Parts: sequence; C-alpha cells; structure tokens
Amino acid sequence: MTDAGTAFAVDISGARKRFGPIQALDGITLRVPRGQVYGLLGPNGSGKTTLIRAILGLVDGVEGEVTLLGTRMPDREVLARIGYMTQAAALYGDLTAEENVRFFARIHGGGDVEAALRFVELEDRRRAVVATLSGGMRTRLSLACALVHRPEVLLLDEPTVGVDPQLRVQLWNGFRAMAAGGTTIIVSSHVMDEAERCDRLGMIRAGRLLAEGSAADLLGLAGVDRLEDAFLTLAEGLL
Amino acid sequence: MSWRRTMAITARLLSQFRHDHRTLGILFAAPVVILGIFALLLGGGGDLPAMGVVNADAGPLGSAIVRQLEASELVDARIVDAAEAEERLTSGELAAYVALPEDLTASVMQGGALDPAIHLRGTEPSESAATLRAVQAAMVAAAGELAALGGLTVPELAPVVSYRYGGASLDSLDLLGGPFVGLLVFFIVYLVTSVSFLRERSLGTLERLMASPLRRTEIVVGYSLGFSVVALLQAAEILLFSLWILDLYNAGSVLLIFVVEALLVLGAVNLGIFLSTFARSEFQAVQFIPVVISPQILLSGVIVPVSAEPGWLQVVSNVLPLTYAVEALRAIMLEGADLASEVILRDVAVLAGFTVLMIVAAAATLRRRVA
Repeated sequence: MTDAGTAFAVDISGARKRFGPIQALDGITLRVPRGQVYGLLGPNGSGKTTLIRAILGLVDGVEGEVTLLGTRMPDREVLARIGYMTQAAALYGDLTAEENVRFFARIHGGGDVEAALRFVELEDRRRAVVATLSGGMRTRLSLACALVHRPEVLLLDEPTVGVDPQLRVQLWNGFRAMAAGGTTIIVSSHVMDEAERCDRLGMIRAGRLLAEGSAADLLGLAGVDRLEDAFLTLAEGLL
Repeated sequence: MSWRRTMAITARLLSQFRHDHRTLGILFAAPVVILGIFALLLGGGGDLPAMGVVNADAGPLGSAIVRQLEASELVDARIVDAAEAEERLTSGELAAYVALPEDLTASVMQGGALDPAIHLRGTEPSESAATLRAVQAAMVAAAGELAALGGLTVPELAPVVSYRYGGASLDSLDLLGGPFVGLLVFFIVYLVTSVSFLRERSLGTLERLMASPLRRTEIVVGYSLGFSVVALLQAAEILLFSLWILDLYNAGSVLLIFVVEALLVLGAVNLGIFLSTFARSEFQAVQFIPVVISPQILLSGVIVPVSAEPGWLQVVSNVLPLTYAVEALRAIMLEGADLASEVILRDVAVLAGFTVLMIVAAAATLRRRVA
C-alpha cells in the first residue's frame, strides 16, 4: 500500500505499552486525517509523550499497530518526512542557532534554513550561540529544527511551554498556515485554551483515549461550557 | 549556626547516597579492587624472569654458579646452549642469559677477574634488575664456596653486561614512556567521548536523532570519525612531544606507533559511546574510570610485566585491549619491531577487533533510554 492512497497521516489501532507497573498506553485507537491539526490533551503523565514516541517508532515493544504516512512503524525511511519537537528544547548548546537548524536539515536530507529561522523570528539571532538564548528563544529554535525540512507530519510535544502569549498566538497562526498548506500537525498540550485552535482533539488519561472530536463535540458530549470542565466530566465518566 | 539547618544538608546528602547505589558501590568496592590488583601485581606470585645459563667452563666455578642460579629465588634459570640462548633472548622467551666461558675457572685461578658476559634483553626494567642481582649473588656465593675449599682467592667481580635492545643508557622514561603515551591517549579520549555522548543523551538531542532517518551505525560511525579527528591530532601531538621534546628512545617506525595509537583512539571513542549507555549523568560516566579504566592500566603490563602476574590474573590481562597496545608500543619503540613481526600483527589485529566490537556494541545499545 502506498501512502498516496491513504487519507490518514497517522493511524493507530489498539496501541498498548507497559513500563513496569505503569500502563503508559492502554489500547489507544485513533486516526489523524492529513492536513489536520490534532490536539492531544491530557494531564502530565497521561501518556501523551509515549503516544508521540510510539507514532515515531521510538518505543520498543508496542502492541497493536501504528501506521505513519501509510508506513507500518517502526520505519526509518519515512522519518525523513516527519518533524519532531521534543518536550525539552533539545539543541546543541555550543552551536549557533543557525548551525543547529542546518544540522537538523542535513540529517533529514535538506531544508530551508532561512525560512525556518524566519518562521520562529530568530533570523536576527542566527549567529547567537544557543547557550546565550532565553528559554523562549530556545523553544522557538527547537521548533525551527523540527520543521526546517518541511515535513508532511509535524509532531509537537508541548511546543508552547515557556513561550509568551504574544508569540504563542503567532506560532499558532503559523501552525494553521502550515496545516492549510497540507501539513498534518499533532500537538500535545495540557493548556486547554490551545485546544480550541485544533481541528480535532483527543483527550487522554492513564494511557486511554477518553473522548475524541472537535472542541464543540467534546463540549456537547460533556454538556459543559469549558473544555477544562469537559475533561473533568469525561474523565469521571470513564473511571 | 543553626544545627537543624546544617543537619538538613547532611541528612539530604545521606539520603541521596541511599538512592544512588552505584556511587555507593564504587565508593566502597573500587578501592578494594584497585588495591587488590596492586597487591597481586607487586606481591609477586607470578612467573620469575626466565634466564638462561650457557656453561662452557671446564672447571668447578661454572657449575657452582649454575647451581646457585638454579637455586635462586629471583630468576627461573635453566641451562641452554649458546645458539638457543641467542634465539630465545630475541624472541623474548628469555629475559637474559649469562655465558660462562671455557677458561672461567682457569682465569680466576690465575688471579683474573670473574667476568662472564651477561646478555640482557633490556625491555623490562624489573626483569633486567632481577637477573643482574641474581647473577651477582650467584657469583659471590660460588666464588665464596670455592674459596672456602681453599681452591682460589676471592676474585674481583666484573661481569660484562650487554643489552639486546636499547641499552644501558635507557632510563625509566624510555622504558615506560612509550606504553604510557598509549594509556594517556586511551584515558583522555574515553573521558571526553563518554561525557560528551552522555550529554547527547541527557539533553534529548539523541532522541531527535533517533526520530530522523539516521541509522544507528551512521550515528556511531559519524561520532567516531568526528572525535577521532580531534583525538588523532591529540595523539600526534603527544607522540611528537614525547619523541622530540622528552627525547623518548625509539628504535621503530613513528608511523607504526601512530597506527597503534590510532587504533587505541578508535577503540576508546567507541568504548566511551558504549559505556555512556549505562550512565545517567556525566558524574556516573566519570565513575567508570576507577572501574573500567584503572584496572586496565594496572593490568596492561606497563608497571609489572604480564608474565609476572599470578596465572589467573594473566588471563584477565590477556582479554584487555590495553595489554596489546602496551606490548605493541614496547616492541616497536624498544625493539624496533615492524609489521613483519608476528607480535605486532597480532596486537594490531586485536586492537582493530576491539574497535569493531565496540562500534557494534555502541550501535546496539544506542536506543536504550536511561533517563
């Protein structure tokens, strides 16, 4: 099966993974259509990061099936078309901003370093060594490294932690623009106001998908006005 | 000063130790292991230096010296013929041999000096010293024995000492310097690589590399090459400093020394990457030094020859890569050994094999998440 025929960027069915006593993934099934912004919502430790890592094929021994761009994971080649921003800004502290972005472009087979730096508004800090950048700048740079090769799927693990509200709005506008251009974005967050910017949401708790749908769907399902309340209601209903 | 606040620090520290079993283990086990190895190395118990005696003396003095040497607790002496002695000295089976000429007794009887020729291999200072002392003691005892019987007056002792390799002018630096260059390179390269690769793990950049099309072997080999460029420059610098500034004795090819060093560097780089898998912090990576590096240095033969270790410890020495590097560097620099030598070929093969093994091990364990 070629991925050209697949409408889903990500297709997970029955994913399970246990780390010692912790059931990090407890039978998650979800599909993300291409070009969507999909939000993974859940408290800390709910399994969001494990799910993202499982999508990338980085978790050993996952039961069930994970397909990324039509390719059964784990698979190294498909990763050239994927961007991944880890939770902590994982960068080389003694390289400059530009050198970091260029490195990640090269290991993915090329990319537009200029455009990536412009996207995160760091073009005037390109020669700054990462160790001298502020926390928010590092987060932005980390994002630039994740999207420099123009990936078809972008996985963002809590990308806006430590980013000020103004830049957060800009980044989300950027994400929306990328999605409009066909990029699939999967973004994890525990900030509920970000959730409303996603096309579709998955609420995760204790490794299980509690509910899935648009923000309006979830509010309707729970019969409440705020996503925060919806999360609490849905979580209780399942426990 | 508040006693309560002070005790809070102390209690916290002790709690941290309780949770860090590895540090505790190293704190209490490493000194015992290292001192134990030291005791085994310096306490003897291994083979005595082998020396040959070529006895052509027609009189009783020669056989008296042979008797004394055979009873010596400093050397393991045996009778050999002249051709055999030469051959075994070159191959390293003998650390020395003493030639007692036909007219030894006769010339001493006529008031001449007791002047046998002592041929030393000259590559192991401790063995040279032991054989010289043994021969000296044997001559004194043998001459005294005959004098007591009234056969002769005690002669002047004037052995003629010659060295197969190097010479009397070699000092400890010449003998230890070459292998030490290798140990130094290995140690520093290991330290820098393991700490630096651990940062790649702990900062999360390795996770990003794993989420890219990079293959594990590409990461490990790319890393090795990068570090090796710097490490080889360092090795070259140390080598040139040793040879030109410290004026270390070298009878062999500088290029061949560099090849051995280069293999050591590649091995150390990949050992560093491999061991970084088992550490959670830079601190823990440094803790591998007393466990992994120090025993290797002690057992490599640089301080005490491997043959002088107790038998089971020789087995340990013989599986450690540094032992082969030390052997090769000694053979090249002191004996002028080249690629025609079987010892060098074997050592180079072992070091190359170790490097390949470490690359495979490093690539295989790369994905392990410690954090």
